[in-house]
Amino acid sequence: MTRSGSSVSRTGDRSVEPRAVPAGVPVCACCAEPAVVYQPVTRRHLCGTHLVRDVEERVRTTIQENGQIHAGDRVAVGLSGGKDSTALLVILSRLLATWPGASLVAITVDEGIAGYRADTMRAAESLTQRLGVDHRIVTFRDLIGDDLDTLLVGRETQACTICGILRKKALADAAQAAGATSIATGHNLDDEAQSVLMNAFRGDLPRLVRTTGTGTSEAFLPRIKPLMSIPEKEIASYLFVQDLFSVLPECPYTKYALRAEVRTLLSDYECRHPGTMQHLIESKKTIERYCAGTPVMEPLHLCRECGDPCSGDLCQVCRLRHLLEK
Amino acid sequence: MKVILPDQGVRVIEGGPRTVGALLHEIGANPLEVIVSRNGKLVPEQATIGGDDEIRIIRIAHGG
Repeated sequence: MTRSGSSVSRTGDRSVEPRAVPAGVPVCACCAEPAVVYQPVTRRHLCGTHLVRDVEERVRTTIQENGQIHAGDRVAVGLSGGKDSTALLVILSRLLATWPGASLVAITVDEGIAGYRADTMRAAESLTQRLGVDHRIVTFRDLIGDDLDTLLVGRETQACTICGILRKKALADAAQAAGATSIATGHNLDDEAQSVLMNAFRGDLPRLVRTTGTGTSEAFLPRIKPLMSIPEKEIASYLFVQDLFSVLPECPYTKYALRAEVRTLLSDYECRHPGTMQHLIESKKTIERYCAGTPVMEPLHLCRECGDPCSGDLCQVCRLRHLLEK
Repeated sequence: MKVILPDQGVRVIEGGPRTVGALLHEIGANPLEVIVSRNGKLVPEQATIGGDDEIRIIRIAHGG
């Protein structure tokens, strides 16, 4: 549908002055502004103003329905400087402004990836300065004595596994040091659906049902994913309409990731069958309910070398140290 | 119509108006993995483009 706006549309407590809608552009479902995005599942077009409100409201709902943040919490936001963590920090800094006593600290992990990390580090520093958020930077060199590029020589195909283990550890240590009560990451709806499919492909039921977001394990800081109901495209659009979207380089190791294959497969399917990603996530929740109280996961032990909680004799980081001779 | 591709390559496409979705189909881009601007403004896949428009296709899916 294409039409030109002619009257003031009022939504909530703010009014939107309509502009002439350019020819051939659909209009927003909530006002007479030109649409910037289409939501296939709800079959709605939204303008920039209503997209921003809609995204922030859905994140607020996710946080409240899942009890992700409470008064007095200090939330450590994993800030890579990419679009998802940028959106997460922007949204949380707005939402937490009205949350009594809650505070934010942004943590950036510099893995040491030449030609990739410098731009995103600059973006992270610039954003935290603009938002006035406490910012900590930790490096793989501090954690394990070398940068990722050096660690991966001859092991490039294991890049995402090695990086993921070390990044998780670096983020957890930095969050503890910053006095955080939880860790928020920028995983979006697409990421979550991809993870469900990847774990199903691997036949990894324990990982499929594992959740650290509810604070059920006292051994770990709760990890929360406030963007888990927002599609990746809406996050990029949310940033673009606020002039916050930056085109950043792609990680050179992405080509080795199973996730890259699953992303292509799943986005092709979602495009033809809107709602597929949401259905996958709902399937995971159903399996979680069936598994509640069932010993799907191995009980937690303490790593015999570093004392961190883990499922076996040695934690993944210490196993990696042995593999890398670090 | 001037089209700036995700790799910064530029293509001039002649012919009649078409939707953003049709353009993405022509160049083999998945609509879920890109956002598209027309003359600097974000547009949905159903928007009609053509003529002197400058279209930028921006890839959004990154990381492993």
